[in-house]
Amino acid sequence: MSQGSSVRAFPRLPGPVGAGARLCYSETMERKGRSPASRALGLAALEHADALHAFAWHLTRNPTRAEDLVQDTFARCLAASDQFLPSGNLKGWLFRILRNAFIDGVRREARNPARGASEVPEPSDDEISGEPLRSDPELERLRHLVAKDIEAALGALSVDARTVVLLDLEGFTETEIADVMGCPRGTVKSRLGRARALLRERLREYAR
Amino acid sequence: MIAAECETTRLVLHDFVRGRLPPETRSATESHLAGCGECRARLEEERITARLLETHVSRPPASDALRAKLLAELGPAEASSKPRRFATTALLALAALLVGAILLVREVRSPAEDALVNEAVNDHLRVLYAERPVEIESGGIHQVKPWFSGRLDFAPVVGFGGDGDFPLVGGSVALFVDRKAACFVFKRRLHTISLFVFRADGLSLPTVTSEELRGGKAPVGGARGFHSILFRHGDLGYALVSDVASAELVTLSERLDL
Repeated sequence: MSQGSSVRAFPRLPGPVGAGARLCYSETMERKGRSPASRALGLAALEHADALHAFAWHLTRNPTRAEDLVQDTFARCLAASDQFLPSGNLKGWLFRILRNAFIDGVRREARNPARGASEVPEPSDDEISGEPLRSDPELERLRHLVAKDIEAALGALSVDARTVVLLDLEGFTETEIADVMGCPRGTVKSRLGRARALLRERLREYAR
Repeated sequence: MIAAECETTRLVLHDFVRGRLPPETRSATESHLAGCGECRARLEEERITARLLETHVSRPPASDALRAKLLAELGPAEASSKPRRFATTALLALAALLVGAILLVREVRSPAEDALVNEAVNDHLRVLYAERPVEIESGGIHQVKPWFSGRLDFAPVVGFGGDGDFPLVGGSVALFVDRKAACFVFKRRLHTISLFVFRADGLSLPTVTSEELRGGKAPVGGARGFHSILFRHGDLGYALVSDVASAELVTLSERLDL
């Protein structure tokens, strides 16, 4: 049985931290060394480094910040290793830590506008036409959209919408996405439906 | 004003495409789609969108430099205040991982096997990019296996018909090297797993017994970011390929029931 099929509430994460938190964690750990259990968790977490990095890359859309975010996630994971039960869903827990670390970073940037935090606002429902592509040529054009168009459409979504689409794409169930995002499952369902509708709308613009 | 039945159908189209609907809901959805052109148009668009996302959204992997930083973050195994000891331990751990990875790959790969792994990955990519990845959609293994009769000159031996972890999507006839192969397509969450079954004569494949397979002893290899398990069992060759974690591919191989 894989970790993904084991659905349970994730343990409490380290509380909100301010700028420089990653350094604090690292310095503390280097001085103290690691318990065998913490090292084992760290090694298991390394298995998910690619998935975490891809998620971080799509959230930040910046290679340097994506790497920093994964490092921050890893440090937070190790700092809270005693809160994680071996039977838990490690991948989901790591994604949750990464998302929280990203949000912390966005909040820090919001307090420091010079660094240019840029959250995409959600469009209103009026902007989602809901009108499907009907003609074969339109569908054909949609089929042949290139990666650049798909990623631009994804990148134009709000962070929440992008997050829910990426987690769905990663293969998380709605229950697991709810745990990662810290919201009820019903909210995930509606967010996912709305996010995909927005995405389709943007892709239609490319295909028409 | 859209009909209530259309509204209900559209709400579940995403799960319909993902194969995540319970049988009764799936059946009701299929019935509605058969008689509603508008919802069929939306289904087609949903299918194309799902495929575009699955195949075109990049997944940039962690760089070696980042992996090294994460490994270094683990620090020494025991408390130590000596930086030199910490550095030595980290380097030893990194070296052990590298040697282990090389040994693992060497243990299961020869040049001939490398060629077969590449072949399997190419065939898997053809499944991923095919307009219709399966020719027969699954209603269970007892529906898929008979479909191959008359299409292949051998009977593909696979006892596993999918389960909640690895649902069977369907099957198709594929080519593996120079011969026809039965291609079974499974899902692991949103990831696609291809299982190619083919006559093994003349191919350099490690033999695996049923007991070894059940014990998770299948040889894991891979290329270009995909994991693969290739082996011979009796007269037949088997190739499992996917981008899921290697442990998940091994779990599926344990369930093949050969």
